[in-house]
Amino acid sequence: MKLTSFPLAIAILVLMFGGIGFTTAMNWWKTESTKIPAKYSEGEAAGEFNPADIRGSYTFEAIKDSFGIPLEDLRIAFRVPAGGNTAAFSVKSLETLYTDLPVEMGTASVRLFTAFYKGLPYDLAANADTYLFPEAAEILKTKGSMKPDQAAFLTAHTLTADLQIPVDAAPAIEATLQPGAESAVPAPTVHVAAAMTVTGQTSFQNLLDWGVPSEAITALLREPMPEPAMLIKDYFAGKGVEFSSMKGKIQVEVDKHK
Amino acid sequence: MSLLSKNRFFRNKIWIRRIVQAFFFGFIALISINHTLVTTGQGIPFLASASLHAVCPFGGVVSIYQYVTVGTFVQKIHEAAFILMIIGFLMALLFGPVFCGWVCPLGTAQEWVASLGRKIFKKKSYNHFIPAKLDSALRYLRYILLGWVVYMTAISGTLLFVNIDPYFALFNFWTSEVAVGGLAVLGVTLLASLFVERPWCKYACPYGAVLGIFNLFRIFSIRREAGTCKLDLACDITCPMNINVSTKTIVRDHQCISCLECTSEARCPVAATVEFSTGLKTHETKSPEILTAGAK
Repeated sequence: MKLTSFPLAIAILVLMFGGIGFTTAMNWWKTESTKIPAKYSEGEAAGEFNPADIRGSYTFEAIKDSFGIPLEDLRIAFRVPAGGNTAAFSVKSLETLYTDLPVEMGTASVRLFTAFYKGLPYDLAANADTYLFPEAAEILKTKGSMKPDQAAFLTAHTLTADLQIPVDAAPAIEATLQPGAESAVPAPTVHVAAAMTVTGQTSFQNLLDWGVPSEAITALLREPMPEPAMLIKDYFAGKGVEFSSMKGKIQVEVDKHK
Repeated sequence: MSLLSKNRFFRNKIWIRRIVQAFFFGFIALISINHTLVTTGQGIPFLASASLHAVCPFGGVVSIYQYVTVGTFVQKIHEAAFILMIIGFLMALLFGPVFCGWVCPLGTAQEWVASLGRKIFKKKSYNHFIPAKLDSALRYLRYILLGWVVYMTAISGTLLFVNIDPYFALFNFWTSEVAVGGLAVLGVTLLASLFVERPWCKYACPYGAVLGIFNLFRIFSIRREAGTCKLDLACDITCPMNINVSTKTIVRDHQCISCLECTSEARCPVAATVEFSTGLKTHETKSPEILTAGAK
């Protein structure tokens, strides 16, 4: 049995588009991840969407749809310029938008803002180095549904008007934020400077200074370490990888050498 | 195009392949442009706006390990890439790497540049610059790259290949998503296409490496009828992948892309001598008719 070019061309087109059409009809064909976060499986918020599952690929519109936060509030909270398409603004874009800040303003900040806006449970201890703009804090104070510990956390994690870390909050671990430590009245926070905490301003030189061997960094990156002066965040931005998704792994390596 | 040159084009080339290639090139380009437009709030109605990662079957290949062990896809890879991978494998099982020869837009881009190279260096020199021994060894580089990409993706869970992927760079050079490494590899590939036909496919493409394995057992193969072959080497000269078709009765070479350019339908001047077939006879073999008139 032989085949010439014309029937072969038809066969290729039928297999390609027939396959795509069939899998689309079966609802198997997906070209993007669903922009619907996972839900809490237990606790007081069981059944509600979990802000911790917001990904860098989510747009502001996806957050609005899942959590009911108005686009304008998101735009103002994260200083996205007016006049653009706020709905299509992706969360990961924040990491490249604010490279000059002393802290990382990215996906983790959006998760925090969303949790506080809706008063949903959120792991504050794991977000000791997450900060928000003053505008976001204002919105949360007027429209949010924060619990007392969240309100206290916000106070210590709002950048100052000149976009600096609050004096008493430079990367800090709140002693008041132990699991289950909730009180009706916001307790004064006790900040303990968190040495060796990976943030958006951490460079590879910092890692070396903290005792992390260059071999461990190379193993983590799967390639030779770049110039030590380079910020880790910039390195991952250049690779198209979200810094927030790698920060935890680097912190684990740092913690091994504390 | 004059009537004479038009006739030559239709007689000596698989013209339908050129049309299919141009179609897929335009289709993928439009999807990629639309993807950019959609992120700015615009977009072309009724046209897909998927990320290029979503419509690249190789994304499915590098996701296999993670999918089997963890049940999830590698970052940026979705079900569509997996489905395209399966379709690609099915086509390869039937016809060999027709994805490379008929669909892949990067292969098409290399062929377009090659047509310029062929004009500059003429047919005898073009595509024969690399010494045969070295060329033969270099052909296995793509399996090394395949192993490296699959391994690195498995242990990192991220699409590291995108940093050097010329296919992604070709359709994203206007975005900030493209890596400098990808642009550099694309530039080198296109430049090399002036001297060598499909250099990326021959020496580096990890997806072509996977599909090439199917040539060992594909159902339809290029077959040469030794009894009627004039041994004029027309098939060897025309093969973009430098396969010596004239020395084989059945082409099992891992580099064949099933372009059919060597067949009696295109370059071979003898009817029913080089054909794309299963090898099963469905009718009596006709006497070969030598089609030499005006062929050269």
